Amino acid sequence: MDIWQFTEQAYYPAFEVPGNMRVTLPQHHCDPVTARQLLNRYLDEYMLADELGLNIMINEHHAAATCMSTSCMTTMAILARQTQKARLLALGIPLANRSNPLRVAEEIAMADCLSGGRTEIGFVKGASYELFMSNRQPTGFMDRFWEAYELIMAALTNEGETFSWEGEYFHYRTAALWPRPIQQPPPIWMTASSPSSAATYGKLGAVCATFLSGTVARSVFSGYRQAYAAQFGHAARRDRLAYLCLVACAKDRAEAFRRAEKMKSYFTTAARLEPQFRNPLGFNPVEANVKMLMSGGGGGFRPRMRNGKTVPADGSIEEYMDAGLYFVGTPDDVYQQIARFHDEVGGFGHLLMMGQAGELDHADTVDNLTLVATEVAPRLKELPEAELDVRYEGVG
Amino acid sequence: MASPSIAGLEFGSLSMVDFRGADVELFTAGSGDPLLFLHGLDGLEGAAGLLEELARSYSVHAPSHPGFGGSPRRGEIDRASDLGYFYLDFLDRLELGAPVIVGTSFGGWVAAEILTKEPARAASLTLVSPLGLKTADRREQYVADIFMLSRQELAQRMQQGDPAPLQNIMDLPEEQLRRAMCNDEAMSLYGWTPYMCNPKLAGRLHRITCPAQILWGAEDAIATRAYHQAWAAAMPQAETAIIADAGFRLHADQPAAVAARIAALAGARKEPA
Repeated sequence: MDIWQFTEQAYYPAFEVPGNMRVTLPQHHCDPVTARQLLNRYLDEYMLADELGLNIMINEHHAAATCMSTSCMTTMAILARQTQKARLLALGIPLANRSNPLRVAEEIAMADCLSGGRTEIGFVKGASYELFMSNRQPTGFMDRFWEAYELIMAALTNEGETFSWEGEYFHYRTAALWPRPIQQPPPIWMTASSPSSAATYGKLGAVCATFLSGTVARSVFSGYRQAYAAQFGHAARRDRLAYLCLVACAKDRAEAFRRAEKMKSYFTTAARLEPQFRNPLGFNPVEANVKMLMSGGGGGFRPRMRNGKTVPADGSIEEYMDAGLYFVGTPDDVYQQIARFHDEVGGFGHLLMMGQAGELDHADTVDNLTLVATEVAPRLKELPEAELDVRYEGVG
Repeated sequence: MASPSIAGLEFGSLSMVDFRGADVELFTAGSGDPLLFLHGLDGLEGAAGLLEELARSYSVHAPSHPGFGGSPRRGEIDRASDLGYFYLDFLDRLELGAPVIVGTSFGGWVAAEILTKEPARAASLTLVSPLGLKTADRREQYVADIFMLSRQELAQRMQQGDPAPLQNIMDLPEEQLRRAMCNDEAMSLYGWTPYMCNPKLAGRLHRITCPAQILWGAEDAIATRAYHQAWAAAMPQAETAIIADAGFRLHADQPAAVAARIAALAGARKEPA
């Protein structure tokens, strides 16, 4: 198993402002001098991850105190130059919220070239609430995603002449990437939270990541494996599957829990958004909305603990741990928790680790990353395959 | 197929009309001169009170726009301007030469799209809280952004009276909820950006030559006075009237007063059914 350091690069001093953490949070709450210190600090921690032999994952959000990286590719361009060995994963680029996919392809190509072919590229639809900032049309979101995906892949893999593109949503007279990417294309990642979406990515053979989904990861991975096996005629390797979680590691357990408490505001602030922003009109298909509302829903996905109960909105560290969202303790504890979860969900090859989250400070983050890299990662490299009770012979 | 029904519209009949490859939901009621009613953001069900008033004097034809209510979306239609062409064809199908045309909010915009293309297709035109003109100029907003408001706040601001049942979506039975979700999606399809307008409409409104009027609610909490004035300026051939004790959905707050204005413009006598 490979470990990827990830931080949302939060402007956590704004967490004390009441109300929405996204979309409508006024920018006067952001002190740019503090933001500068934090952004540089997070980049320093990414560079430490590189030195420690960890890989790196970055993301982007918009108009949010919870994430100051407003462009995956801007952050990646810095790290492409400043890191040496780490694989650099953008997870992801919100394609249906982007107006110019050819520009996305250009940025990928430049970063991949600059980094010596170390980029890995995640394509995500984009957060529904970020339609308010991108102002892209909420209807047709998925169709637009797939057209953008196909255009970008055509550009990244093109070894022939320039080409033109007249699609439903995107139109280009001529497309050529200067520079070309070194990897044609870089490994492609996508994210899923249900077996059906995972199956779509299984057919493509893209790496499938699931975020903070706890025990649901088992069905997500299973959906992926079945579709992959049907498409390619052999079982997917573990390196096609990834899981994102929080990790708080320390020499002693009490200190690890103290760190976990510092990171917990990730969960509480991510949820601070009014409902009309979570589900803009026209974003979800009609039948999905009907189903959600008829079941009294609208509150969004909540992870479940092993006893089947959902984790409360302000759950304890132990409850988040039980749900498989948080791995907390000494290096031994963390290794055992991850190994157990790995076996419970049928195995996966990438741990996308929030080694910094919420208000965890620099010194704690450095120690957290160092312990994981030196005492947990080598053991996870040797983790045996999970025993799978899924059989592929009857598939496809 | 069995006709569906909509609460509040029991005084007429609802049918599905197979038209150019897809169904159009059509409510008809009353008798008299033909009248085409173009519903607003609140769908057919949101106009029940006014439709009942109009059916006393007119042969009312009230379709659900493609995407709204029970009318499925059509692949080739995603702009109000497209709906303008769609309704010119649909008027032919219904054999309505030049009916009285009434449109509320989004439907007022659609009415303007129809008549700027073929001005002779209406005997008279009444626009009730119409959308369609530019809803903002850079940082100045003339029409509240309904996509940014919570359902509760939107429901309160749409009219002076109590919010329609439709706006309390959590209490709706499944079929009504599905209609509401279709209406939401259609609003987004036609009105997300540019927000509830066709920037080119203002330059075309001079083409409308039939008797026309624009009605607004005195207590409008969605469109500003500046927006009301912009409509008057873009369509000087229309009379503007402000209806007392009414909000943006003045057809819900004051259906009788709105119906009386429509009848007065068309010169029709208002008779009991």
